[in-house]
Amino acid sequence: MRRENRKRQHDGHGFLMIAPMYLFTLLFVFAPLCYMVILSFLTRAEVWGVVHEVTLDNYRNIMTPVYLRTFYESLKLAGICVVLIILTGYPFGYFMAKLSSVWKRRVSMLLMIPFWTSALIRMYGWIIIFRSNGVLDKLLMGLHITKEPLKLLYTYPAVVVGMVYALVPFMIFAVYSSAEKMDWSLVEAARDLGASPAKAFFTVTLKLTMPGLLSGVVLTFIPSMGLFFIADILGGNKVVLVGSLIQEQLMKARNWPFAAALSVVLMLLTSLIIWLYRKITKVRELEGFY
Amino acid sequence: MNMRRIMKKAALLLTVSMVLMTLAGCGGEKAAETLNLFTWDGMFPQEVLSGFEKEYGIKINYSNFDYDEDMLAKLETAKGGDYDLVIADDYIIEIAIAEGLVKKLDKSKLTNLANVDPVFQGHFYDKTDEYTVPYGAGIPLIVYDPEAVDIEITGYEDLWNPALKNNVALIGNYRVIDGIVLKIMGKSFNENDTAVIEEAGKKLLDLAPNVRLISDNNTQDYLISGEAAAGFLYTSQVTMALAARNDLKVVYPKEGLGFGIMAGFIPSQAPNEDAAHKFLDYILRPEIAAQCFEYIGYVCTNKAAVEYLSEEARQSLSLPEEAKSGEFIMDISAEANEVHERIWTEFKAALN
Repeated sequence: MRRENRKRQHDGHGFLMIAPMYLFTLLFVFAPLCYMVILSFLTRAEVWGVVHEVTLDNYRNIMTPVYLRTFYESLKLAGICVVLIILTGYPFGYFMAKLSSVWKRRVSMLLMIPFWTSALIRMYGWIIIFRSNGVLDKLLMGLHITKEPLKLLYTYPAVVVGMVYALVPFMIFAVYSSAEKMDWSLVEAARDLGASPAKAFFTVTLKLTMPGLLSGVVLTFIPSMGLFFIADILGGNKVVLVGSLIQEQLMKARNWPFAAALSVVLMLLTSLIIWLYRKITKVRELEGFY
Repeated sequence: MNMRRIMKKAALLLTVSMVLMTLAGCGGEKAAETLNLFTWDGMFPQEVLSGFEKEYGIKINYSNFDYDEDMLAKLETAKGGDYDLVIADDYIIEIAIAEGLVKKLDKSKLTNLANVDPVFQGHFYDKTDEYTVPYGAGIPLIVYDPEAVDIEITGYEDLWNPALKNNVALIGNYRVIDGIVLKIMGKSFNENDTAVIEEAGKKLLDLAPNVRLISDNNTQDYLISGEAAAGFLYTSQVTMALAARNDLKVVYPKEGLGFGIMAGFIPSQAPNEDAAHKFLDYILRPEIAAQCFEYIGYVCTNKAAVEYLSEEARQSLSLPEEAKSGEFIMDISAEANEVHERIWTEFKAALN
């Protein structure tokens, strides 16, 4: 089926059909990208805007420890979040694929409904749960686990919870669509041939759902580098991420070339990570990326 | 497979409805006269806006920005057009005037201009008062809950006191926060010497253990709810904090105050400058101005409006004697700005 499609793209009609898409990409993705790369080599003006003096200073500036550390912190947070997302999202998607079709529809509906509300509003919901004397505090004190109100908000774990919450559906859906297509008789065959449930899972199920898992990783790792509003709202601005640094350079410090350089490095970094994933896992097709 | 078909249909439906909406927009009736007002969210009470629309038959098209820099970037892209009236901070207006994006006011159309308190006129961003009309002034101040704090706070330096561990809420403006360290060191908010700013950065790091959070929006809420015991807040936030809890205490820090004015100006290519003048004159009326200032909670810049303010508002919205020596936070050299930005990032990185 897919091979046939690909062949059809080569005759003239196919090209005309997709030309607007190429044009769109050229205009709205490629052109701004070029603009940003060029901007990253220019110099900021003394007061406002940029002057056309080519320099490498913006990239040199990134090498200062404080900004390098921002990249490290972003990667660390993204890494922690992705591990937690895998631990929660993978089993969810896996078992969801085993539900009856009625329940599959119900569960995916339930996963979808929160998206009808803005992510920002949902984060404010977490504030109500986490704040001093908030829902969680009252619960813990009611159960006599803690005696005094805790300061849960504006801490690192609060940011991690917010990130995992915001991104876990992407993992669930990616794993689900992989697991749903899986031929379960292969697992049965492995079991019949004497594999323990764990062994059957690791040698058969995990391998077959790998494309889903990996696209889930890509879909959650990259946004988690950029979702700085969660760090702002639940972390009280105490976790500096590259995303918030770029925003601050752009909006407050007026250092557009430096902001552009930071964005370029961030993009290279994420591209590198995707490339590494593909290299290591030899998965060519990520679920949902074709 | 099924899912994908549904998605395709949904996408088609969305596209069709978007095209229809665009077409509907094109064939609209001839627009009535409009005023394109560009400022932060929540700068005018609804009654004031509706009152203007009713009286003059001019529709107000209110668009807002979050940061002054955002405003200037948009105004620059529009080459000084698109907007009829902008209200923003003093330092950005100075840049906008220098960039040629601001038009001189026609004072013959501003019959109520004499109501402006001259204390707020003739400052660095518009020394000859040709371009701007002030609309509110602010001094960031310390507010704290005396019940929750064991020490008496009299100045910025008290925020460093270990008694306030993990209990201070700060606004997120690095020029102001770095600036209070400079004030403690006996320097100016507008220090240009990078070595001095670096030194301030070191002292700022010591504040990290006391910081509960940094936020630019509704910072007063954290004080009101008890999430933080002390806060360094913008004027409007101070007003709101006091309105919600009159047991909170306000401190005019002894090291010296920062000061800022917000003002309205007409962009150089404003499509409807006549409406902009009408609106400026309208908000300069004493009773209208009083309504505005009670709503925004900034220091009242209209001397004729003071008698229309309620008793409590008159207290909190008039400039105290100490503030007369307040220092404007002005634009500094790019080099100094970069050091500010770096020490601020270092400070934030030390928080978690």
